Amino acid sequence: MSMLPIASSDQVRSHGMGLARSYRRDLVRMLSLYALAAVAGLVGPWVIGQLTNDIQYKQLTVGRADVLVGALFGAAVIQSVFTFLSRRRSYVFGETVFARLREEFLGHVLGLPLSTVERAGTGDLLSRTTNDMDALSRTVRFAAPEWMVALLTAALTFVAMVIVAPLASLGVFAAVPILYLSTRRYLRYAPAGYLRERAAYATMSGTISETVDGAKTIDALRLSNRQSRRVDADLGEAYDAEMYTLALRLRWFPSVEFAYTLAVATTLLWSGILAYHHVIGIGAATADTIYAVALMDPVDRVISWLDELQVGSTSMARLIGVAFVEDDRAPTGETPVDERIEARDVRYAYREGHDVLRGVTLGLARGERVAVVGPSGAGKSTLGRLLAGVDRPRTGSVEVGGVQLVDLELDDLRGHVALVTQEHHVFIGTVADNLRLAKPDASLAELRAALEAVDALEWAEQLPEGLETELGSTGFALSPSQAQQLALARLVLVDPHTLVLDEATSLLDPRAARHLERSLSAVLAGRTVVAIAHRLHTAHDADRVAVVADGMIIELGTHEELLSSDGEYAALWASWRNDHGGDVVLQP
Amino acid sequence: MRRLPEEDPGTPDLRSPIRYVLWLARLQWRELAGGTFFGILWMVSQLLVFVAIGDAIGSGVLYQRLGTLLVWSGVVVGLGCLQAFSGRMRHRYAVTNWLEASYRSIQLLGRHAAATGPALPAAIPSGDVVNTVASDAIRVGGMFDVSARFAGAVVSWLVIAGFLFASNVMLGVIVLLGVPILMVLTVPLMRPLHSTQAVQREVVGKLTALGADTVAGLRILRGVGGEEEFLGRYRARSDVVRLAGNKVASPQALLESGQVLLPSMLVAAVTILTARLVVGKSLGAQQMITFYGLSAFLTMPLRTGIEGIIAATRGLVGARKVIAVLAVQPWTSTPSEPASSPRVGGSLLDPASGFAAAGGQVTALVTETPEEAQAIADRLGRFAPPGPSARSAASLGGVALEDLDLEEVRTRVVVSDVEPRLFTGPLREELAPHARFSDAEILTAIGHASAEDVLDALSNGLDTDVEERGRSFSGGQRQRLALTRVLLMDPEFLVLVEPTSAVDTHTEGRIASRLREARGCNGTVIATTSPLLLERADQVVFIVDGSIVAAGPHRELLDSVPSYRALILRGNDA
Repeated sequence: MSMLPIASSDQVRSHGMGLARSYRRDLVRMLSLYALAAVAGLVGPWVIGQLTNDIQYKQLTVGRADVLVGALFGAAVIQSVFTFLSRRRSYVFGETVFARLREEFLGHVLGLPLSTVERAGTGDLLSRTTNDMDALSRTVRFAAPEWMVALLTAALTFVAMVIVAPLASLGVFAAVPILYLSTRRYLRYAPAGYLRERAAYATMSGTISETVDGAKTIDALRLSNRQSRRVDADLGEAYDAEMYTLALRLRWFPSVEFAYTLAVATTLLWSGILAYHHVIGIGAATADTIYAVALMDPVDRVISWLDELQVGSTSMARLIGVAFVEDDRAPTGETPVDERIEARDVRYAYREGHDVLRGVTLGLARGERVAVVGPSGAGKSTLGRLLAGVDRPRTGSVEVGGVQLVDLELDDLRGHVALVTQEHHVFIGTVADNLRLAKPDASLAELRAALEAVDALEWAEQLPEGLETELGSTGFALSPSQAQQLALARLVLVDPHTLVLDEATSLLDPRAARHLERSLSAVLAGRTVVAIAHRLHTAHDADRVAVVADGMIIELGTHEELLSSDGEYAALWASWRNDHGGDVVLQP
Repeated sequence: MRRLPEEDPGTPDLRSPIRYVLWLARLQWRELAGGTFFGILWMVSQLLVFVAIGDAIGSGVLYQRLGTLLVWSGVVVGLGCLQAFSGRMRHRYAVTNWLEASYRSIQLLGRHAAATGPALPAAIPSGDVVNTVASDAIRVGGMFDVSARFAGAVVSWLVIAGFLFASNVMLGVIVLLGVPILMVLTVPLMRPLHSTQAVQREVVGKLTALGADTVAGLRILRGVGGEEEFLGRYRARSDVVRLAGNKVASPQALLESGQVLLPSMLVAAVTILTARLVVGKSLGAQQMITFYGLSAFLTMPLRTGIEGIIAATRGLVGARKVIAVLAVQPWTSTPSEPASSPRVGGSLLDPASGFAAAGGQVTALVTETPEEAQAIADRLGRFAPPGPSARSAASLGGVALEDLDLEEVRTRVVVSDVEPRLFTGPLREELAPHARFSDAEILTAIGHASAEDVLDALSNGLDTDVEERGRSFSGGQRQRLALTRVLLMDPEFLVLVEPTSAVDTHTEGRIASRLREARGCNGTVIATTSPLLLERADQVVFIVDGSIVAAGPHRELLDSVPSYRALILRGNDA
């Protein structure tokens, strides 16, 4: 199982910068509005400074006080107006950027090479699509804008301090060393801790979900105590993860809280001394001290969002990492001369040095049916994937009309050969949506014809809203055999000349499978078919039978030829025949 | 603090959400009290900074008293230390309170889910149960998290009102009444936000489902095409989510700008009144600075108060959902006076269909529809949901299963469904969840289930961790591992429903030939249509529409019952 790539931190950074550049104008507008709100918010301490000055010089009158406090309230009104405008713009901005990120991500997912999709389990990709997307959503929509705004507010507050009394503003720097050192230490350990928390909660949700879904098995096999212990163990792990980050915060919080108040104390003392010596006015000392208090909040937000931003960037790394999967095929532009598929001396390995296929040669005549039989693990499914052009052989070739399957454009390949497995998936969407995947421009008549061909039109039309009925995990639930028929109808629409069936009906109840085989044979009519079979009755219907063992075709021929050669297949058939009471009619 | 989760989460009070929350609160009252204490200390130490600043400047600097300035600056440093310490303790208690309440709820939910059996997924969709654990239980804890700060907010509001009251009655009254009035004024600002957020959550949920659906079906999409169509649909839905997000933007921004404007009305009122009192010489610069600072500080208790109300509302909604899950009752339970155990070796009987399995024999059950076989297997294992469909109960050794201790029924009759589940954990434990078996014994059972190749492919053998739902195994591998598991349990009766539906003919043949050895002198019921398995059965019972059509050895039925023959040979000889 191969893992999908994860972007490096440089790649994440340059992606983020690129994003910021492409939205430069929106960013500037948003931050300008924020700046106006922040500036309006700085009027209050200045007003108090003025009032204190007036008190010192005994100039305070009711009229003067009314004007100053009026200015304070007016500034608050302006601040709230600009807060509204800037916040609204920022939320819209966050939604826009995140929408673009998720659409780009899904685009990359949908462009993943066939071989990667076949081999990498869906677990990793699914957790990127749900968990990482969710984490990034918080970062892009809240953390990043909040962080920028807090940074801007802190900077403007400091600027105000400098304007009021440049010398007095130096007092706040007392906090910097403490903030820097404690935060650096915290950030070194925190992201790993939060990721561990997240993983622990994901595991716990998984346990709960398998417990509820497997309720009957748990009841039947008396597993309830064990499952409860699992939940407890997951909680224990989540608790340890929480305690780890708590310990980090318990060291970090007191330092930063102390640092903020220390900055206030030093500003108070320093500006007080300056005012005492009449270097600055008492109003300036008052204003700067209150600014120092006001500075706490934005600075705190700047450093508090940092861990969230770090966690968000790891999610970002996993999301944009999907784009770095290299394509598994480089179409050469060659055109097949005919529709004959041929495998020559094919070898294939999942792990280096462990060939699963060890020199397989198989030519398919047009319209022929070949059954592939053999024990589990013999390499049947691997052969199927190579014959369908999913994987590139390590050595040797699989060609259609003289062109390697993996050198064809994906769209062309699909017109030649399709792999049908026991896996079926009904997508969220209508019946028609589910079918049109295979042929986007198909007319309603074509859809109906495809359903008719697989014997599914009748039930499809009886659905609540016919072909417009919503299906999938959130809609109408089809039975497994209906789902399989839908998959077969898609094949009719794609219309490849060759089909590779990998145990396409094996997971179904045999009684349903029998009905389905009729649908299947309608699809198979007129096509070349390679059937990888569990059940021998598929084999005796075939034109030729290939017995695969240990990565090689050890027997190849018609059913009768293989029976008369008295090898592996003959032995297998004998046991099967025997189990049928010795009276199976051999001829199809 | 003790490590969570606890051994025993206790018995909750499920009569109402409030009672449930109070029950949780009683169990952690010490932590709640500690949090409250430090929450108050933390907020009060912050507001006292403004008193110190006012005195340092309004008295020290103004009247040229350097000593006063130094002392009050020192006091600010001291308050900083107090704030750092009480803040640390407050946070510690907040987190432990949150965890204790959340984890206790999750623990209860987990145990209940594990013990309720199929009744739970039948009553509440599994996604909803997971949501209740992942978000509602956490929200219940959120109430406890905010409680310490909420207490601090209330006390600091009263302290500030007290301070101002001591200087001027009017000022005190403004703060005392102003804060609750502002909170009430904020409520209408929250309402549009809640409704638009609800819409947003819904469309986000749908989009996530669409994304997950795409990934789940990606193999098929990449196989047959349609990526462009899909991306187009995803983009359209993504745009709907974006627009729903934009609809949230205005109410959200309105709430935030309200939280700027409303408190500043209070600040302006306090400041203007103080300034006039200063002009009238009854107050000085000291109060001017302090009262401005305190009134501006009120923003914090105000926000915390609103946060507390939101957390409490959500917590109670969460508690309601937790209760809904915990209230689901299992379908089956042990009767108050269980009958005495039937002797070992008796037969297992389903009177509804007439199906009987003799002890120590392999009895095959053949039906025309899989549903019918499943229904009979459910009755034989006492799984049927309550209701009119649960007809006369099955019996073991002549005693009705309903009258027996449930644990005894589950121990003596083990039913393995067509899709038995595997669970997360080390494979060894997964195969032998109850008793400890030696590796040799486990390997023997693996051999009986013809699952040697599954084990061979695992790099860590029996110590391999099984992934969630065993999804790293193929359907056939899961089926054989599940068979190994029930063979190891070695019950008096094993009821297997289509145990080989996903394995190939070779393997099926091996399983069939080893079954008798594996089961020894215990009884086995196999619901199947596989000739390889039927061949090996002592007795085959063919049931159509609820009653027995024929019974006897497989070959005999093949010869004498045409409908049986047609069913088993799947039309191959027709």
